[in-house]
Amino acid sequence: MTETTRVRSLDDPDVFVETPATIFDAVPPYPPRSEREAEFYHLDDGEMLINLGPQHPSTHGVLRVVLKIDGEKVVDLDPVLGYLHRGVEKICENGDWHHAISNCDPLEYVASMFSEAMPVLSAEKLLDLEVPRRAEYIRVLCWELNRVASHALFMGWLALDLGGLTPVLWGFIERDEIVEMLAALTGQRLLFNYLRIGGVNRDLNHDFLSRLGDWMSRAGNQIEQSTRLLNENEIFVRRTAGLGVLDRETALRLCMSGPPLRATGIPYDVRRAHPYSVYPELEFDIPTRTEGDSYARYLLHIDEVRESIRIIDQVLHEMPDGPVMAKVPRLIRIPPGRAFIAIESPRGQYACYAMSDGSDQPFRLRIHDPSFFNLQAVGVLMPGNLIADTMAIMASLDPIMGGIDK
Amino acid sequence: MSVLTRPWNRLTLAGKIILPALLLLVLLTVLLLVGWLTGIIPGLLDIGAQIVNDNIDIVRFVLAVTAILLFTVPTAFVIIFMELKIIAFINSRIGPNRTGPWGTLASVFAGFKVLAKEDFTPTGADAPVFTLAPIVTYLAVVLGLLVIPFAPGLVGLDMNIGLLYFFAVSGLSVVGLMMGGWSSFNKYSLLGGLRAAAQVISYELPLLLAPVGVIMLAGTLSLNQIVMNQAGWFWDWYVFQQPLAFIVFFIAATAEGNRTPFDLTEADSEIVAGFATEYSGMRFGFFFFAEYVNVFILSALTVVLFFGGWNAPIDPRPILDFLHISFSPAVDLAGMGIWLLWTLVIGIPIVVLVLGLIVWMLKSSWSFLKSLVVGFVLFNVLAVAIVGIWAFLSFEVVVGLFWFTAKVFTFAFIFVWMRGTLPRVRIDQLMSFAWKWLIEIALLNIFVTAGAILLVQELQRR
Amino acid sequence: MTDSVRQKADTTEIWIGAKDVTDVMRTLHDDEQFRFELLADIAGVDTGSEMWVVYHLYSTLTPDWLRVICAGLSREDPRVPSVTFLWKGAEWGEREAYDMFGIIFEGNRDLRRIYMPADYVSFPLRKDFLLPDDAARSPGEGFRHVEQTHQPAEHFRQPVLRQSKLGSSSAAALDELAADTEKATS
Repeated sequence: MTETTRVRSLDDPDVFVETPATIFDAVPPYPPRSEREAEFYHLDDGEMLINLGPQHPSTHGVLRVVLKIDGEKVVDLDPVLGYLHRGVEKICENGDWHHAISNCDPLEYVASMFSEAMPVLSAEKLLDLEVPRRAEYIRVLCWELNRVASHALFMGWLALDLGGLTPVLWGFIERDEIVEMLAALTGQRLLFNYLRIGGVNRDLNHDFLSRLGDWMSRAGNQIEQSTRLLNENEIFVRRTAGLGVLDRETALRLCMSGPPLRATGIPYDVRRAHPYSVYPELEFDIPTRTEGDSYARYLLHIDEVRESIRIIDQVLHEMPDGPVMAKVPRLIRIPPGRAFIAIESPRGQYACYAMSDGSDQPFRLRIHDPSFFNLQAVGVLMPGNLIADTMAIMASLDPIMGGIDK
Repeated sequence: MSVLTRPWNRLTLAGKIILPALLLLVLLTVLLLVGWLTGIIPGLLDIGAQIVNDNIDIVRFVLAVTAILLFTVPTAFVIIFMELKIIAFINSRIGPNRTGPWGTLASVFAGFKVLAKEDFTPTGADAPVFTLAPIVTYLAVVLGLLVIPFAPGLVGLDMNIGLLYFFAVSGLSVVGLMMGGWSSFNKYSLLGGLRAAAQVISYELPLLLAPVGVIMLAGTLSLNQIVMNQAGWFWDWYVFQQPLAFIVFFIAATAEGNRTPFDLTEADSEIVAGFATEYSGMRFGFFFFAEYVNVFILSALTVVLFFGGWNAPIDPRPILDFLHISFSPAVDLAGMGIWLLWTLVIGIPIVVLVLGLIVWMLKSSWSFLKSLVVGFVLFNVLAVAIVGIWAFLSFEVVVGLFWFTAKVFTFAFIFVWMRGTLPRVRIDQLMSFAWKWLIEIALLNIFVTAGAILLVQELQRR
Repeated sequence: MTDSVRQKADTTEIWIGAKDVTDVMRTLHDDEQFRFELLADIAGVDTGSEMWVVYHLYSTLTPDWLRVICAGLSREDPRVPSVTFLWKGAEWGEREAYDMFGIIFEGNRDLRRIYMPADYVSFPLRKDFLLPDDAARSPGEGFRHVEQTHQPAEHFRQPVLRQSKLGSSSAAALDELAADTEKATS
């Protein structure tokens, strides 16, 4: 053991370190913990570290990315997560299955209808429970509405990170209409807590349906209008086309899913790949693109919105009558077993691996968040680009920190 | 002492201010009277007048600079308000609507807020440079106003090298941005400052090269002269002879003013706020004001160089001459004598009464007093309109100012419009656009203009 | 291997041991019969008596999920080969499993905590993780420890005090822990 003098870190006076790292070079005040960390925090001549976040206007929440830059060019980067970590999986293990629904709600806070489905669907699969058809249709309706709401925001955020002020507010107008509509149905605007093991909380009401009809009559037109602002915009296209190009092989190796994967040409959509709910009965396409760049991802989102509106239309026409809730006891004891379920969220495959030991609490509720895996692509896509492009790339992957940090 | 302190303590705050003011006024009056009667003050006034007469150029300059400094503040407020409201409209929002009528005072109150905020220097910053940076930026921008001709005769300083002076001074603003970026001790600021330097210096070239065609046509660098050369109908404006130069100039001006889509120096989604990241309070306010004054100045320069400055788009004189209409709205106020006073004293109440009666008859549910108040407001609107029209018809300056302001705010609107519509370009696209396109186009424009001038001269000679 | 394969509903399960992970995953990924190219999920599990790592795979050849359970990892020193050589994206998944369970993935170049701070010592999703224990050694208690996993095995041998809810908060245990960690970090 070598004798070293340890001094107080300038970052945190409570920590003793070999070298007093300062707040100015973003180097952590402790020796590197892994091979990769040691490699990253070794600076060559002319390189500097810059902290992007967690308090930065465009990191979509509290993501912190340490960029190693040479001038304006990004050489390497190290995403630092955990600023929003709540230990949802542990909390779910400590409550019963019903509590897990509302605990999983804020994971994907932009489209929480998807994350709250995790414990619901896995419990149903473990119970081998038949859900009433009307409830399935209502779920699909809510999911697709929420997908549109989420995608509308995505387009706005992408433009905002490129410096365009207007699209994000137009996106919010779209989103607000849908969110108000869902609030009329569920009672909440953001975290709906609507799905239940065996169905949904309550049946469709008149307020929701009238708002939905109102919105459906102009939704398509509104989407076209909002997209017209960006689709042909020379600056926007030049900023996004050919940027952050992913090929099929890399995307698969990065475990990506959702629009970033489909933009590379792989038609992997859980709704078709591993059908769930009533999706096999509905008619819709899986839009794909082959370019794999930010612009392709953007266009793919627009196509998906169109498909979602198509699905909503079908669902409204084919909505059966009947109960919205199966006969499920208040206090559920889930039989022991293991179940894996996956659904297609706006950001990709939202999956859950649930284990039950026969009690009323989940033994293990592993939640697979697509943005967590999609965000890894920044490590491949960003190096070599300029600082300004990091935003375009990150926004085009559409990460939601609630799900990433769990 | 309590004899004085007790009544003093009983005074309200207003009383405590007014009483000393009154005493001071009395004292001043006495002093003035004594001075006047003993002949000291008239003597001093004579000497003062002599000094002013001897140094009339300096006095003019000081007056112009003061007026311009005072002028920038309301201009910035108006443009900021315009931006808030127009971008709100583009975004389908309402925008400011609380302070003042239709929210017009929002930007003024924002200015007061900036004044009232704490003004701190971050640890590690280079304090003197950090403090000087906003001042340098602001002054560099404001000094450009000195040579802009607002109206016939209304120009701070009619230099014969006005355009050269303008570019020399406005080029200094990048020094302020660099100082701010460097001294803040912040990596984002540093990146912003360096971006500012790269961008402003690159775009200085097309900005300078584009008006060369105009200079060759006008044969002068004086902005006043350039405006006068464009007198007449709107097709006499240089934009129709130099369309390429105008496009290059306007794009370069957008970049020079750090406006969207070229606002890379303070790209909030990339480098937080660029050089202004660490600034707060009035230091930030100076940067902020400088940006909006810059919008005004660049619009003004575009108007002066390419859109005829204060010239009206139509020239009514030939038509009036053709129709044998001579129009002389000049009112001989002195000739009216005592009747002017009578008109003002009796005319105003009568008009107010008549207007109030009309309002009352139209809206009989109102009380007569309320109708009178409305009538008074109507009278004021009417009076301002009449005086405005009269001034417009009588004074060339007012006409010039009207057209100049209208044109400048049209361009300011275009700047705001672009901000609401366009995303931001990337730094490499920005640089390659300047060096690969704009400079070449500007040079081509000079070449073509020179050829055309030679051709025209040759044809005229034959 | 046939008895380790089970099928229920839409999922096929394979049970393997830590030593088979590399071969099995490589075969599933590369073999023309399987082509399980998409890693749908990677999860750590603490059953209370042993550790698992659970992989879910998807292939275009079948709509079913394939669940590969790598079972039988000891709770004291759970080690399993990394699958980052096949799926680079498993890196963060493995980091998460390491952060939450202390499972060490050999071959992962970036195995460090992903959510919890660097000076954190517990593995929160383990079944014997108790919050009072955690609070007792939390930074707020005035005790700081800087993690160093250049030698992951050594790091993992750091004392884990979970005998009782209150036992670890005694001053003696804390002192012992502080001395140990000081040794580990210096």
